[in-house]
Amino acid sequence: MAKPVVIVVGADKGGVGKTTVSRTLLDYFSANSVPTRAFDTESPRGTLKRFHPDLTEIVDMTTTSDQMKIFDTLNAVSPSVTVIDVRAGLLSPSLASLRDIGFLDAAKSGQITFAVFHILGPSIASLDEIAETANFMQGAKYFLVKNFINNTSFFEWDQATYNSYFRRIKDATELTIPKLNEMAYEQVEVASVPFLKFVANKGQDDEAANYSFVLRGYVRHWLSNVWTEFDRIKLTDLVGSGKSGARMGEK
Amino acid sequence: MQTTPVYIVCSPRPLIGKTLVARQLSEFLLLKNGDVAAFDINLKEPSLLDYLPRITETADVNNTFGKMALMDRVIANDGVAKVIDLGFHAFDEFFEMSEEIGFMKEAARRGVSPIILFVADVDRDSARAYSRLEQQIAPTALVVVDNEYVVRGELAEAMGHGRMLRIAALPTFLKTYIDRLSFSFTGYLRGEQDSSTELHQWIRRNYLSFRELELSLLLQKS
Repeated sequence: MAKPVVIVVGADKGGVGKTTVSRTLLDYFSANSVPTRAFDTESPRGTLKRFHPDLTEIVDMTTTSDQMKIFDTLNAVSPSVTVIDVRAGLLSPSLASLRDIGFLDAAKSGQITFAVFHILGPSIASLDEIAETANFMQGAKYFLVKNFINNTSFFEWDQATYNSYFRRIKDATELTIPKLNEMAYEQVEVASVPFLKFVANKGQDDEAANYSFVLRGYVRHWLSNVWTEFDRIKLTDLVGSGKSGARMGEK
Repeated sequence: MQTTPVYIVCSPRPLIGKTLVARQLSEFLLLKNGDVAAFDINLKEPSLLDYLPRITETADVNNTFGKMALMDRVIANDGVAKVIDLGFHAFDEFFEMSEEIGFMKEAARRGVSPIILFVADVDRDSARAYSRLEQQIAPTALVVVDNEYVVRGELAEAMGHGRMLRIAALPTFLKTYIDRLSFSFTGYLRGEQDSSTELHQWIRRNYLSFRELELSLLLQKS
């Protein structure tokens, strides 16, 4: 049986694009035929759930019952990949909870594949977050995501300072999410469908839609660039699928 | 399957005859099909809208709204031929956007046939722009317009290998005559009794070239 994979997407700051990155991950796995389930910790109403209602369950990660719902079922359910979109401010507490329940030790001993996509904000506070989060990263794949989709400028950072933080963390990998045309982004928001369905001009229930060809083109181009980044970090290898060639939605 | 041609008349250079080609082509298509939709992205130069206001819409590719308004129309396989008069200032933005949104691929999928009519000049900008188009556009969809009035027989060798549409130079007094806003090419053919006049023959020759271009497209599709 395949080893369970848990991917946590989070940041300690709000509005840096955690859910957007989670959505691109779900689209990527869907296009690569990797069975995936997702948990949205924006309890009681989740944004990720709005875009991927079939895959997503809303949970409150601070409660024991919901922690059990996620982690006690890792081996029991068929999708081998679990994506958790962690609410703003909850990344460090969530990682602490995972340590407390012995999950991080299980990752360290190789029973579970664990990856963290840490979405960085433009401020120096993000660098402190890296240092804080890094404490939990032994045995995990740690990805630092610079997300430009919401027009974030990373110029506030002093490169030397950033490098000094970055060097402290062994095996951290940087990822860049490029900017998407604002209107295209808005239209996908309004449509409330996965990026893949928007590109394919389909509604939530696969019915034919009538989205702008121009905006679909922008989303397709952007999504392809994001997936190139995921290919670069060999994400399908990480989840044990190992195929990232021609996939649906890219044609 | 029905195909809809989309003619994109373009150049990175101003005042080299883009609107002249777009005007003639629009009038030809209107005469032949009874319908044509023309788009003017050329507001900084003598404009197609001034010549053919009844069939021309203005368009803008400087913002996303404008791009949507234009491209969502242009990509429709509705059987109505389209002509885009693409101003020199919009050249880079238009083709950058086309590449990014996958216009050529989507057009092929929907049965829309874009034909790029690149109006040649002898300068470095034109050479650079043509080379860029060669990388982006299939050779069958890229046509160099050799406007004798501009090129004067000095067409760059690199542009002379592919498909070509030649427009002969007119004497200056006739050029001034056809540049009048009230002048119509089809109107002239209909109204002028003497078919041996230079202008009559010039218009007929150009219409014939457009016809041949259309035929080659049809053959290509079949």
